[in-house]
Amino acid sequence: MSERDELKILEEAEGLSRRDLIVKGGIVTAGASLLGSPAVAAAAVKRSARADKKLSYAVITHGAGDVFWAVVKKGVAKAASDLGVSTTYSESFNKPDKQAQLIDTAVARKPNGIAVSAPNASAIKDSLRRAEKAGIIVITLNSGVDQFKQLGALTHVGQTENIAGAGAGQRLAATGAKHLLVIFHEAANIGLEQRFAGAKSTFKGKVSRILVKGVTDVATSTNEIRTKLQADKSIDAILALNPQMGIAARDAAKGVKSKAKIGTFDLSSDVIKAIQRGQVLFAVDQQQYEQGYLPIVFMYLYNTNLNTVGGGKPVLTGPGFVDKSNAAKVSALAKKGTR
Amino acid sequence: MAIESARHPTRDERVAYVGLLARLFQRPEIGSLVGVVAVFVLFTSTATGFAELDGFARWTDEASNIGIMAVPVALLMIGGEFDLSAGVMTGSAGLLLGYLVTHPDWNIWPAILVVLLFGMLVGLINGVLVMKTRLPSFIVTLGTFFSLEGLNLGLTSHVTGTVYISDVDAAHGYGLARTILGSSFWSPYDFQTRVIWWVGITLVATWVLMRTRFGNWIFAVGGDATAARNVGVPVLRTKIALFMTTSTMAALLGIMITMQLRSIQAGQGIGREFEFIIAAVVGGCLLTGGYGSAIGTSIGALIMGMATIGIPFSGWNSNYRSLFLGIILLLAVLLNAAIRQQAVRSRR
Amino acid sequence: MSERHLLEVERVSKYFGNVIALKDVSAHLNAGEVLCVLGDNGAGKSTLIKMLSGVFEPDEGRLIMDGEEVRLHSPREARGRGVATVYQDLAVVPLMSIWRNFFLGAEPTTGLPPARRFDIRFAKKEVRQHLLDMGIDIRDPDQPVGTLSGGERQGVAIARAVYFGARVLILDEPTSALGVKPAGVVLRNILQARNRGVGVIFITHNPHHAYPVGDRFVILNRGQSLGTYGRKEIDQQELVRLMAGGSELSELQHELQVLSAEIART
Repeated sequence: MSERDELKILEEAEGLSRRDLIVKGGIVTAGASLLGSPAVAAAAVKRSARADKKLSYAVITHGAGDVFWAVVKKGVAKAASDLGVSTTYSESFNKPDKQAQLIDTAVARKPNGIAVSAPNASAIKDSLRRAEKAGIIVITLNSGVDQFKQLGALTHVGQTENIAGAGAGQRLAATGAKHLLVIFHEAANIGLEQRFAGAKSTFKGKVSRILVKGVTDVATSTNEIRTKLQADKSIDAILALNPQMGIAARDAAKGVKSKAKIGTFDLSSDVIKAIQRGQVLFAVDQQQYEQGYLPIVFMYLYNTNLNTVGGGKPVLTGPGFVDKSNAAKVSALAKKGTR
Repeated sequence: MAIESARHPTRDERVAYVGLLARLFQRPEIGSLVGVVAVFVLFTSTATGFAELDGFARWTDEASNIGIMAVPVALLMIGGEFDLSAGVMTGSAGLLLGYLVTHPDWNIWPAILVVLLFGMLVGLINGVLVMKTRLPSFIVTLGTFFSLEGLNLGLTSHVTGTVYISDVDAAHGYGLARTILGSSFWSPYDFQTRVIWWVGITLVATWVLMRTRFGNWIFAVGGDATAARNVGVPVLRTKIALFMTTSTMAALLGIMITMQLRSIQAGQGIGREFEFIIAAVVGGCLLTGGYGSAIGTSIGALIMGMATIGIPFSGWNSNYRSLFLGIILLLAVLLNAAIRQQAVRSRR
Repeated sequence: MSERHLLEVERVSKYFGNVIALKDVSAHLNAGEVLCVLGDNGAGKSTLIKMLSGVFEPDEGRLIMDGEEVRLHSPREARGRGVATVYQDLAVVPLMSIWRNFFLGAEPTTGLPPARRFDIRFAKKEVRQHLLDMGIDIRDPDQPVGTLSGGERQGVAIARAVYFGARVLILDEPTSALGVKPAGVVLRNILQARNRGVGVIFITHNPHHAYPVGDRFVILNRGQSLGTYGRKEIDQQELVRLMAGGSELSELQHELQVLSAEIART
């Protein structure tokens, strides 16, 4: 999404806050027939009748406390302060059953909307259905782009992993590399699998994969990658799917003096530094700050103005690419934890 | 009533001869020795380079990650207690170190000292809580584990806004500290300095366990704390000392990892605590306490390191790493039990 | 009483709340003598031993050692004065070897700190020799104590107490869990200790074990002493009768006779 579009949405959001309550009520009733969902409309009417109360939103992701999600969380917080709504943020540490529980807990506190990441849509389907029955609107973010409609979400804010992966694969193929190693740091994560599939489709050569220990033990992960590079000297391109793993890949490659070109997903200050130093070729930036910020805005728009976004399609926040050409500028922003 | 006179000493020579072989089989390490040979042979046959210095450097690196902590955890287990906070403690220590050298900008050496003291303090708390409440140490240290996990994530994000601390290498005194604690040697193989520390810790622990008074006390408080207390062994002091040792060693490992990586994640170490216990059990330690070996534990850590590295080396699907480790653990435990039974039978 | 005994209790009593565990019990022990303390469960035997081994102090009465009144504030203090107690659970750690158990809590050391180490060679040698001296033949001091039979374990515990200079050896029901043959071994060990000049207090509820080794017998019943008898003053049957509660037993026997007669009639 371009900056211009972003600004437009923000403007409209600001404009709404000056609307009259009664006018809102009338528009909501009219909008109800358009949507063809009387239950939602009735609930929405009830809600705007209580519109004096601050709007509240719950964001529940499958994050595991790592740097990527910290940026999402910042986006959520900024949207809350910009719009004057209250938000809560919780993480399920990659456990789908825990995420379902967190959603149920959030729903019990009757927020106006919830935004969830959906790496495992079937696990949270029931919880989301219960939320929608209670008149709570749902938006999905980050993962679950193919299931957001079935989950009853208004839209999906994220990056289609397939397209992102394809972009990464293309860039690595353009370097002339013939054997790509993809580093998995989480098991059973559909989003990562989609990135892998995308990269495989555009990389014209051999593609291998390895599952490493992950962010709870970067030292071991580095060791495992290095072992793989030692064992297979034909690897000349590496794609990491997470910034810490990108650094692990860089260290591993350095250790064996491998000339492999490295690409990674998502940013961290270390990754940006590595890009500036030429150790990492690029980072696929899904601009996760927006994945925290935009869902709040969209839900706010819906709650206050029954606006929909996306036209039935997901709202894409990426892929953006950070490479040597723009790393310096992005670096300043990353230091603030917003990229 | 007749009193039996002293027997003639020549009988001892016969006993000594039989004892040697039977004694070998009674050692707690025998199971893990068989295991490590089997695993080594397995991976040497499936992966080229596993048995060479390249491979050697990699699996000793991983083994030291487990072994440095598994040994003190094993001593604690022999002493009859568990410490489930051992894994997350490495993260807490690394984070504290990272914080001290990047925010108030301390010199690395006083920061290291403070972190080690912090380790001792956490160990002291663990020990005192367990002994005074008489609750199972499994539960008490589980509480410590969750507390530290929450603190690690919460405080880090509060202080830095993200979930890791980096730029540790900008600290004064970093260079020398890194050389001693977190560097590698013998290029191009790059053995980690940690490996030397691990071997040293194993040797010291073995000596303490087998050849000192305190080691005798460790076996006693783990085997039967009441009996030990009745003969005058200071049970309280011994157990608290063991808890302090695990936490301080965890702090040391956290420091080493931070030195090596120049940064530390808030989630560091979580999940490792069970790997330490697995290594100890594979090495012959009884879960009920009173029996075990530091060398066996290190051999167990070596097995796990070989497995973790051998799998990518062999090109196997790394999703199966956990399955592999689970099978190894089961086999090792069964083997240990069988050998122990055999040893007891051969006495009669 | 101005005789100097090795250990003496003079009119001791112990109360636990409302319960009278011991009341006005007197007894004495000389060196090289076996004093049997007999009584059924609940008679106060374990309270008496705990008092003698320093676990708690008497509420009334006093403890006298070598003619001087003493107060034992802790088991360690009792041990320090040469009073060694071998409890039923033996205070041995089954998984540890005999030599480790033998010197547990009193490990001989050699070398200077920080390299001060357990003098294992000395320990093994001493253990093998001392056990042989006590007539206990163990094949290998390295074997875990858990692999020894019950009688052998008692033997090791007794030998340990003797080795560490116990002047008074208190044995709490050492034969109660043993079969006939191992019990015999333990009784032999008791005599071994006695012959070395140790004063042995042998607590038991089995008069058939007590009689062969005892020099004197004190019988407790419900916290009170029914008297102390020398070997010459009492025979085994009388001992049994006293222990079983004397008149109570004959009353019971009479009742049983009446009952069986009734059953026979129907």
